[in-house]
Amino acid sequence: MNEFNILILAIAMLSVAFAVFTTMRSRINEKRVLDHLDAMLTAAMDGTFDETIFDESLLSSVETKFAHYLSASSVSARNLAEEKKKIKELIADISHQTKTPLSNILLYAQLLGEQDLPQESLPCVTALNTQAEKLSFLIGSLVKTSRLETGVIELHPKQSAVQPMLDTVLAQVAPKAGEKQLHLACNNATAADACFDTKWTAEAIYNILDNAVKYTPCGGTIQIATTVYSLFCRIDIKDTGIGIPEEEQAKVFARFYRSPAVSESEGVGIGLYLARQIIADEGGYIKVNSKVGGGTCFSVFLPIAR
Amino acid sequence: MNILQTKSLKKIYGTGETAVHALDGVDFTVEKGEFVAIVGMSGSGKSTLLHMLGGLDRPTEGSVTVDGKNIFSLKDEELTVFRRRKIGFVFQNYNLVPVLNVYENVVLPIQLDGNVPDDTYINNIIATLGLESKLQSLPNNLSGGQQQRVAIARALASKPAIILADEPTGNLDSKTSQDVLSLLKVTSQKFSQTIVMITHNEEIAQLADRIIRIEDGKIVGGDKA
Repeated sequence: MNEFNILILAIAMLSVAFAVFTTMRSRINEKRVLDHLDAMLTAAMDGTFDETIFDESLLSSVETKFAHYLSASSVSARNLAEEKKKIKELIADISHQTKTPLSNILLYAQLLGEQDLPQESLPCVTALNTQAEKLSFLIGSLVKTSRLETGVIELHPKQSAVQPMLDTVLAQVAPKAGEKQLHLACNNATAADACFDTKWTAEAIYNILDNAVKYTPCGGTIQIATTVYSLFCRIDIKDTGIGIPEEEQAKVFARFYRSPAVSESEGVGIGLYLARQIIADEGGYIKVNSKVGGGTCFSVFLPIAR
Repeated sequence: MNILQTKSLKKIYGTGETAVHALDGVDFTVEKGEFVAIVGMSGSGKSTLLHMLGGLDRPTEGSVTVDGKNIFSLKDEELTVFRRRKIGFVFQNYNLVPVLNVYENVVLPIQLDGNVPDDTYINNIIATLGLESKLQSLPNNLSGGQQQRVAIARALASKPAIILADEPTGNLDSKTSQDVLSLLKVTSQKFSQTIVMITHNEEIAQLADRIIRIEDGKIVGGDKA
């Protein structure tokens, strides 16, 4: 009887020990599987996933399916990127191919204007010239944008002085500003250096200044001021123009956006888009501060060092 | 794609006659990659709103959806984890851990999640924010602007769905503020990060892609996507 009791006790203890052992083992197993899945996902996010187990286990089959899924989705992502690239190249091609015929049109229209024409033909020639110039400007902007987007043009920001670049741009807009009797002033010449691509940054600043000239009534003022912070150099371009309503302030940087308020005046809505693209590529940004009727101030921030 | 959405969000403090409607039906959405500023005078309810957005306080009514998840359907413990993974915070007073150095502070949210920091990404953030030479420094040895840059790096490190910044330059002088804000703007562009920033300063708000104005617990314009 006693022996029987001991036997029962022994069996009971053994069963408990067995149960504990199995639970522990399954816990360890479960943790191993989860760890493995976690590692798989981490590898997938880094793009370094590779199948490691090839046996009859479920985990191995999960790995294989996962690899299939990853390759399928990366293929579709690649296809999308490729298609996008093709479209961009197409735009670049079209705009480039139209440049030559367009300059021919401009040239012949000018030649036509120089000939002795009947009085009633003159307005036609003038119209022809204006429209051709408009188209040429649009195509020019498109070429620049698409080249910048497709990476044909690469920006090479390097440490350069800010003032000479500003002076070049000021000289470029001076004639236009003169026509409208605008007071164009650079308040404080700066000795600051910043990290930017001289040619393209000049293009960006020119686009902003050109807008300032376009949307400031005759006799107004355009001021350029530079402030140097420890990490950024700020260039303010402030006009006394018509201003931009707050709800449009973010939209003016969008491609082909034209404010309804200025839809009659010339322009295609690409200058500020291009400007923002250039400045952002250089690690800077543009912000705008404006009130309707109270003028606009565009602030360009260029990083001082890379 | 909407990353953040609030629906008729209300917060009422107190009851009956003394009830204060800190938020009185706030509806807006934030798109992925947007930089939004919420502007209001003190007492307008903007801080209450930020606390709701970050799941730091529960609303009386309404919902906040972050990355497709209604955050108030989560239990408190779940919310803590969700916040750590999906929301980055930048506070006025930096809230860095004083006994950890800069690098340790930046990777803290990742390590709390039991993950190994992605060093290429972290180094990229640190370089963008100009903190390379300060990695081993303790927060106390840094200037206010540098501390806030560390806080921005920490907020970016875990690749959150959204970063909430509460008066990020409230404790900084205007020159340093401009640098910190510039870095916030540039990093948000570079890492396509969604940022919601709260401020009472119009000038600072102009940095954002979109301004939402709040007055007496209500949106008074600006929410046009």
